[in-house]
Amino acid sequence: MSHIDSVLTKEKAVDTVTPVKSSRRRIITALAGLSGAAFLSGCATNAPQDTFVPKGPNAQLIDNLNMIVFPIAGAIGVIVLTLATYIYIKFRDKGQAIPAQSHGKPVVEITLTIIPALILTVVGVFTFRTIFDLAETEDTELIINVTGQQWWWEYDYPVQDGISQPIITSGQLVIPAGTKVLLRETSRDVIHSYWIPSLNGKKDAVPGRIHLLRLEADEPGIYAGQCTEFCGLSHANMRMETIALSKDDFAKWVAGQQKTYTSPAAGTLAAEGETTFINQCSRCHQVNGIKDANGKPIISAPDENVYSGAAPNLTHLMSRNTFAGAMFDLVTEECRADVWEAKPEEFGAKYLKGVSEDCLNQKDLRAWLRNAPAMKPMYADPSKLEKTNGKYRGMPNLGLTEDDIDKLVAYLITLK
Amino acid sequence: MFTPGSKFFVGLSGLALISAVLYTIFVNPSDIGAYALFGLLISGGLVSGFSFYTRDGDADTEADAVEAAAYAPSPSFWPLVFALGVAVVLLGVATNAIVFVLGIAVLVGAGVEWTIQSWAERATSDAEFNNFVRHRAIGALDYPGLAAAGLGVIAFLFSRIMLAASKGGAAVIFIVVAAAIVVYAFMLSSKPALRGKSVAMVVTAAALLLAVAGVATAISGERPELAEYAEADHYSKEHRECGEEEGKHYDHEANNTVSLRSAVLATVFVENGKIRAQMIGLKKDVDTITVPRSNDTNILFRNLDEEDHRLVANLGTQLVDETGVKEKVGTCTQLTGKNQEQVLTLNIPKPSSDEQVYSFTVPGAEGEIKVVVP
Repeated sequence: MSHIDSVLTKEKAVDTVTPVKSSRRRIITALAGLSGAAFLSGCATNAPQDTFVPKGPNAQLIDNLNMIVFPIAGAIGVIVLTLATYIYIKFRDKGQAIPAQSHGKPVVEITLTIIPALILTVVGVFTFRTIFDLAETEDTELIINVTGQQWWWEYDYPVQDGISQPIITSGQLVIPAGTKVLLRETSRDVIHSYWIPSLNGKKDAVPGRIHLLRLEADEPGIYAGQCTEFCGLSHANMRMETIALSKDDFAKWVAGQQKTYTSPAAGTLAAEGETTFINQCSRCHQVNGIKDANGKPIISAPDENVYSGAAPNLTHLMSRNTFAGAMFDLVTEECRADVWEAKPEEFGAKYLKGVSEDCLNQKDLRAWLRNAPAMKPMYADPSKLEKTNGKYRGMPNLGLTEDDIDKLVAYLITLK
Repeated sequence: MFTPGSKFFVGLSGLALISAVLYTIFVNPSDIGAYALFGLLISGGLVSGFSFYTRDGDADTEADAVEAAAYAPSPSFWPLVFALGVAVVLLGVATNAIVFVLGIAVLVGAGVEWTIQSWAERATSDAEFNNFVRHRAIGALDYPGLAAAGLGVIAFLFSRIMLAASKGGAAVIFIVVAAAIVVYAFMLSSKPALRGKSVAMVVTAAALLLAVAGVATAISGERPELAEYAEADHYSKEHRECGEEEGKHYDHEANNTVSLRSAVLATVFVENGKIRAQMIGLKKDVDTITVPRSNDTNILFRNLDEEDHRLVANLGTQLVDETGVKEKVGTCTQLTGKNQEQVLTLNIPKPSSDEQVYSFTVPGAEGEIKVVVP
């Protein structure tokens, strides 16, 4: 073969081989990139849902278990993968004869049965102990009913020591720090799952059942969470935050939630907003204490308008920092950062200030009032409600005018 | 060409197609039953294709295929019966439990018969011996199966007679029949000469008598008091009594109906003539129970008193008509005896207020538990 022929042959070979090598290289590069990204994500500093940063005794129990199980599982994983890789390479098919076949080696088999059994026993002992510790409810100091609904969480505080009248709120669960709080979870429609990673593991909220989950925060602060059971269209937007306050601040919060309702002064824009609210919003949203023109209390009827039977109670809307299933902030970024980044001893005072006019996130609130389904995917199209007997899942577009929105915003800011 | 497996699945797909079309036309095209039947049609079609292509996974070489072709199973109607069983099971899922159980029985029976037939035909090269082993194997299953079915028929017919007769009459019939069986069995054992045709005659006569009496009493219906119990329908809204019991028929075994203990919000007790309550999670008595709005909520009632009691939920009032007349709304458990439990499931759509006051009471016991709905 001449030199030219040889070169041509090599070029042909390159032509046929290059795409395969190239695609393989791309796959390896992509996998390496993904692995690297996944690895580096562990270094994130702004990670409020980090499971490895426990902020309460229950999450600490889980973390302690992880510290035992992960090294064991990791070591086993590395050993198995290394051995498997070695065997794949060393004994790959190179055209050699099939080696002698035997039934097995009892000593090896017994050893490889006993060792995993012992490892699992050790892991099992610690795991069971943790499970039983997490299920402890005998020393509960505060109980809260938690109800999941597409796509927000409702919290109601039963009458008990320190709470003379029931409290109802949504989006942000407020608890006293250093207190053993027991959540009694259920759901009004489909299965949801409540998870505040820094305070405890996740627990499903199942219709018709009550599941118990203990929460306890070491110190005041905001602890973020996310529904972790796929629950339909806006599952990804079903968020929640747990707010831990010092015991004194919690008592102040309770007092604030039990304040009686006061209508805005007559002749103000807020008073006009109250009328708009009564006409447009009170069919589903309850504001405790609001009365009609005849002085008769207005009782909302979400059971007649909403498929799952409830809509968030807005009596003290501006005492919380989020709305629409904790998807949007009620406060501007600067004001939110001020609360989130507050030191534990300053946190309560800042949170209890609620939403001031200066801090109100008018942009998102107005956009929500203008067209809620455009802000958060929901089954709220009036022409597609056959299967739900005409009831909405989520807030529909109410067709409010800009004038109405001005009035409503002026009214809602008074709900503290 | 068609292997036994592919024949079965082709038949199943055909039945699924017919069932799906009929269901879609006559029942509900958007119902889950239609989806299930069309799903069965698609999956049956796929499996038929695989089964046909792979020759039931039994012959992937030419030699095996030739050998398989040499084996020609005798015609069998069991695949058809099996497919019918699948259709009946699906029909049962969509209609009621009795049809479903019947379908399962058909499936199991056809499956066993088909399996044994298929196995026996290839047991040995001797067709006569194969036939013998088949009957021996089937006999071991057929006779107990038929005996069980026969006993079921006897029990059903006899129960109709017992339910139609008066309480005293039923006792007499039971004693007389039992005594007659014992006496006749004793005679047979002591005088073997009686066996033979006379036994067949007696058994036939008894079977005829049972059949005639059973059918006649099934048609005539149960005795009046049982008919009255059924008509009373204690669980219906109309019948429910939430005060002192006035009716004489109620469920004395109400405790057996409790199956929700792990999903209760609170437990209400009556003890020493007084009512008290505990909420799940708080280990002390409370005088107020907070119930979430618009959600099914289970309240467990536990009677620790000597007397029978029931829990009554007083759920405010509602307008009867446009004139403004209101009536009380409420519900209650069955009467429960000492140390028995009942669950009351509530769904309260409106928050409690000065106008809507909710509570739990126990007629005949002191006290009241307030119910608050935020």
